[in-house]
Amino acid sequence: MAGIAVNRAGTTQLLMGNEAIARGALEAGIGVAAAYPGNPSSEITTTLAQAAKELNLYVEWSVNEKVALEVAAAAAFAGVRALCAMKQNGLNVALDFLSNLNLTGVGGGLVLVVCDDPGGISSTNEQDSRHVAKALDLPLLEPATFQEAKEMTRWAFELSEEIGNACILRSVTRISHARGNVTLGELPHRKYRARFDTSRKPYASIAMTTPPVFHRALHQRLIEIAGIFESSPFNRYVGPENPELLVVTSGSGWLYSVEAVRTLRAKGSAGILKLGTTWPLPHNLVRANLLRTSKVLVVEEIDPFLEGNLKELAADIEPGRTWRFFGKASGHINPFGELDPDVVINAVARILEADYNPRGADYEHTAQQALQGLVPPRALQFCAGCPHRTTFWAIKSALKMDGRDGFVTGDIGCYSMALTSTGFSQIKTVHSMGSGMGLASGLGKLDRFGFDQPVVAVCGDSTFFHAVIPALINAVHSHSDLLFVVLDNAATAMTGFQPHPGIETNAMGEEAPKLEIETVCRALGVTVEVTDPYDIPGTTEKIVGMLRDRGKPRVLISRRECALTRAKREKAPYVVRVDQGRCRGESCGCDKFCVRVFKCPGLVWNGDTGKAAIDEALCSGCGVCAQICPRSAIVTRVLP
Amino acid sequence: MSLYETDPINVIIAGTGGQGNILISKLLGDAMLEEDHWVTIGETYGASQRGGSVASHVRISGEAPCSPITPRGAAHLVLGLEPVEALRVLALYGGPGTYVVTNVRPVHPMAVAIGEAAYPTLEAIKQTIGELSRKAMYLDASQIGINLGAPLLANMVMMGALVGCGFIPLERERLERQLEALFQTEKLALNLKAFRLGLAEIEKAYGRVHFKSRKGGNR
Amino acid sequence: MIVEDEACRHLEKNVIKRGLCTLCGACVGLCPYLVAHRGRVVVRDECNLSEGRCTTFCPRVSLDLDELSRSLFGIPYAWDGIHRVLDIFMARPADARLRARAQDAGTVSTLIGLALEEGFIDSAVVTSFDDKSLPRVSAVSNPGQLAQSCRSNYMAVPVLEAFNRAASEAGRKRLGVVCTPCQALALAKMKGSRPEERNGIEKLEMVIGLFCTWALSYPDFAEFLEKEVPDPIVKYKIPPPPARVMHVFTKSSRIDVPLDRIMPFVRPACGLCHDLTSEFADISVGAVEFADTPAGGSQGEAQAWNTVIVRTEKGMSLLDRARHKGIIVTDSLPKGTFDHLQEAARNKKKRALEHIVRETGSKEDLLYLKTGPSTAAALLDE
Repeated sequence: MAGIAVNRAGTTQLLMGNEAIARGALEAGIGVAAAYPGNPSSEITTTLAQAAKELNLYVEWSVNEKVALEVAAAAAFAGVRALCAMKQNGLNVALDFLSNLNLTGVGGGLVLVVCDDPGGISSTNEQDSRHVAKALDLPLLEPATFQEAKEMTRWAFELSEEIGNACILRSVTRISHARGNVTLGELPHRKYRARFDTSRKPYASIAMTTPPVFHRALHQRLIEIAGIFESSPFNRYVGPENPELLVVTSGSGWLYSVEAVRTLRAKGSAGILKLGTTWPLPHNLVRANLLRTSKVLVVEEIDPFLEGNLKELAADIEPGRTWRFFGKASGHINPFGELDPDVVINAVARILEADYNPRGADYEHTAQQALQGLVPPRALQFCAGCPHRTTFWAIKSALKMDGRDGFVTGDIGCYSMALTSTGFSQIKTVHSMGSGMGLASGLGKLDRFGFDQPVVAVCGDSTFFHAVIPALINAVHSHSDLLFVVLDNAATAMTGFQPHPGIETNAMGEEAPKLEIETVCRALGVTVEVTDPYDIPGTTEKIVGMLRDRGKPRVLISRRECALTRAKREKAPYVVRVDQGRCRGESCGCDKFCVRVFKCPGLVWNGDTGKAAIDEALCSGCGVCAQICPRSAIVTRVLP
Repeated sequence: MSLYETDPINVIIAGTGGQGNILISKLLGDAMLEEDHWVTIGETYGASQRGGSVASHVRISGEAPCSPITPRGAAHLVLGLEPVEALRVLALYGGPGTYVVTNVRPVHPMAVAIGEAAYPTLEAIKQTIGELSRKAMYLDASQIGINLGAPLLANMVMMGALVGCGFIPLERERLERQLEALFQTEKLALNLKAFRLGLAEIEKAYGRVHFKSRKGGNR
Repeated sequence: MIVEDEACRHLEKNVIKRGLCTLCGACVGLCPYLVAHRGRVVVRDECNLSEGRCTTFCPRVSLDLDELSRSLFGIPYAWDGIHRVLDIFMARPADARLRARAQDAGTVSTLIGLALEEGFIDSAVVTSFDDKSLPRVSAVSNPGQLAQSCRSNYMAVPVLEAFNRAASEAGRKRLGVVCTPCQALALAKMKGSRPEERNGIEKLEMVIGLFCTWALSYPDFAEFLEKEVPDPIVKYKIPPPPARVMHVFTKSSRIDVPLDRIMPFVRPACGLCHDLTSEFADISVGAVEFADTPAGGSQGEAQAWNTVIVRTEKGMSLLDRARHKGIIVTDSLPKGTFDHLQEAARNKKKRALEHIVRETGSKEDLLYLKTGPSTAAALLDE
């Protein structure tokens, strides 16, 4: 029985924020969940998928976030409560649909959970998704604790049905991926009869007539929602009646603020207004709290969203009344990068003019020295046996031999790491899903301006279905001169191996038809070749040849299962060792080629012997390195 | 000397991807949850599979939930699955009063493995940990794991060390019950053995510590 | 030897990117960082070594002709002719059929074939080309395979890459090479290298160097030919002046391509080359060019002979063996031919020096040539 579906109301478990959100959705009795994997949101849908059979849910890993939101909205149109989850970049993909959905509304409850990644720990940007709620006039909720993540999600469905529109719940990494106490509620027994009401007015906005009308209706609805928020238990004030400093905070900022006040023992001088409903702001509540004092510190993740909205609101409270606002504009809270408790503690200390020196100058100095001098950095790298390593190796050799200063436009996935030396620094651009192909399509048309460099676009198998196909069609139709290499490792690896249309199973573990990438490409009329990246000379030769074949897009599928997937299923094929007698080490003819240039984590350098060696704990047994040693000193033996 | 009267208690488990931070943090967290504490566990993800540092912050309080990250200087105990990671976490979050209990077996980062950076000697690491902590305990958890047939058991050995060091009010029986709930029979025996060996090693090397169990406050 | 950058970086900056690379192949086949691909030497990755065999062996890096000449021949380098001559004469295979098949008069393949048969060498590194005119180098152990494997189509090919690879094979112990002047120069540099820098050069027993005026660049020339000559080509021949054509033979016909159309494919690096007659080989072989039309003979007659220069004792013993076995016939060079050849060689040296000085802008800076200023200067000041 899936843990999350345990119906033990009243028990307390340590749940991850994402698990709590999933539980909240289950307690709201959802029927459908659709998503595309994206860190830090993926576990929401994975958790729901685990409970799908038991609770009769439909859970789908959609091809991209726009379709995921459409799938969820469809359920809501048919009266079935649905949840859609994504990371901040996914919201951008879904935005075209969402910015029409807000106008048309929904029938059943629809909650969109967006998980932002402050600091871009596993993202290419750190955008603040909350602006979208304000721009689209949709209600916004921000959970501040794990319990709240569950409660808010559950309540959001009620709100959504009450207002007939989608609700946005915004989480961040520190809520989504951290764990804490969550007391479970009841799981309802719901029976749905899904039905699309064809007699009601259509879910549509039509040019020339409805946009301003629906827009006005949205504004009116917003006022109603603000009224509901006035009495929400997710907003509360803690502290003295008239504190010297009012801290206004939302989301992860709440626990940091509490930590700050506790650490500085400032309970008497600082009060905290925690807001869980951050758009629209409940005017009366905010107004009443602002009037407690004249010093306000706003604590939030990423942009001064709450800060800006508060200032807007404050301007209209009382003519002549002013506040000193502290926050991102004043530099007390970092306007970029992730929040942490030290930032908030220091900000409060500064404003209250309190001393805060947690470890003393000497300790700080020694600690800094240790961090810089003694402790070597750990970089991201491809796993041992990763087929991306060998594909980019072949690409690098081929581009050098080609000699026309060719380069690679990249995309999103594990292979994005080819920006760095683990992938031989081959990738020169990374933006959004599918952008590698879009950019290549453009670059491949610049010949009339003297452009003569070969362009190689790369993408992964999941990315191919997500966003690359339209860009590939563009390239074909415009005769763009490019080589397209699909890195097919049969996985959405970076985010945790969720299935995609090129895989034979779906989110719920059922069989699903597998779409072949080469079939899709051939249907577009392009030549497709397939290569095994573990065959380095063969792959290199293929790429060299395909680079010369100009004037149109060419597709090469570099296909080899992810090393981690294989390892989970079976033992390594080879035992690998370095013949110490043959290894040339640092001398002319080698200069540590395998460890210094190829850099598989399974290969290590022994400074004492001056030779390379295999680290058995890390080696994946793929045997590929035997191909690259200039002295054939790397020896493989087939395991029985 | 112990942290029994401190609230919150902040334990950070420091290691590299794949070493089993998360398992230990869950065991510790669940054990403290059963004793009616507020527990918050913060972690780093995403880079775990691919060679990165992983630190699990386990914050335990009888009064109220804490934030998922430890403020600078507030780490009470650093449990190291890897010695350089223990030092890294200590330097970031520790203070003069921090305790350190760590495995001594290194996991070399790539730069070191290919001869481009030097991994510090164990003496140097111990020296600096000594300067930055109140008291430090060391054991070769990896060797114990290897002797039991699986290097990965090192994390369970360290779990035993955490209980055995006596700095945290943890009952051995409580932890063993957690293990029983988590593992099936074949794996359970081995993990229990590793746990008990870690506990015994620490007690042997640094002396036995008695404590009374403590219950959390109302929530 | 010290260079200002790391070895392969020096090679890339000062030889390859500067247009000096002759594609001899001496730097390739020693390490994973340098590869020869479609007529270019490519630095695929970089090593961090400040010294390396690539720069030590390269004939366009730090070339001290005096030092090389002293260590190989025991005499200083002479700038005014064809350098060291133990003996010089005309020669050709006794077998008329061999003469007809060969591109030159057939002396080279006869000599190298003899060396293989008699055990002077166990492997011959020789050049050939395929149906598409793409050059190929192979290390031949079977004398029977030589005829097919020993032909040239005037395109530059990295012969010494194959030498490096062959020399590293344990099964090969005595190597012979048929090569161009720049390649013979590189082999001489290898012979003079320090023991820790060796590449198996101790296995080298015999160098047969060809006369060479220039080499054509691949793949451009091959692509040009594919358009000019639709059928597979079996033989190429450029007759001596005053002819201004290249004869291209298919199975059924001969097509004459004017040299004017071929000259654009000459590799620019050849302009700096000073060596016409492979001065650092054991035996140097080329065409016979008469000073004037020989009495009682024709240019057709002349084409049936090779000029052979013997430079070392080893070369001498091979020639003696060949004469003794009666597989070649020799004759003295016609009157005036030797002087004609000396002058042609001297002119090439002069042109090379002038080209280098044009590059650097100063007579004091002779690029990679480390040579005493006196004789070179004398040549320049003429």
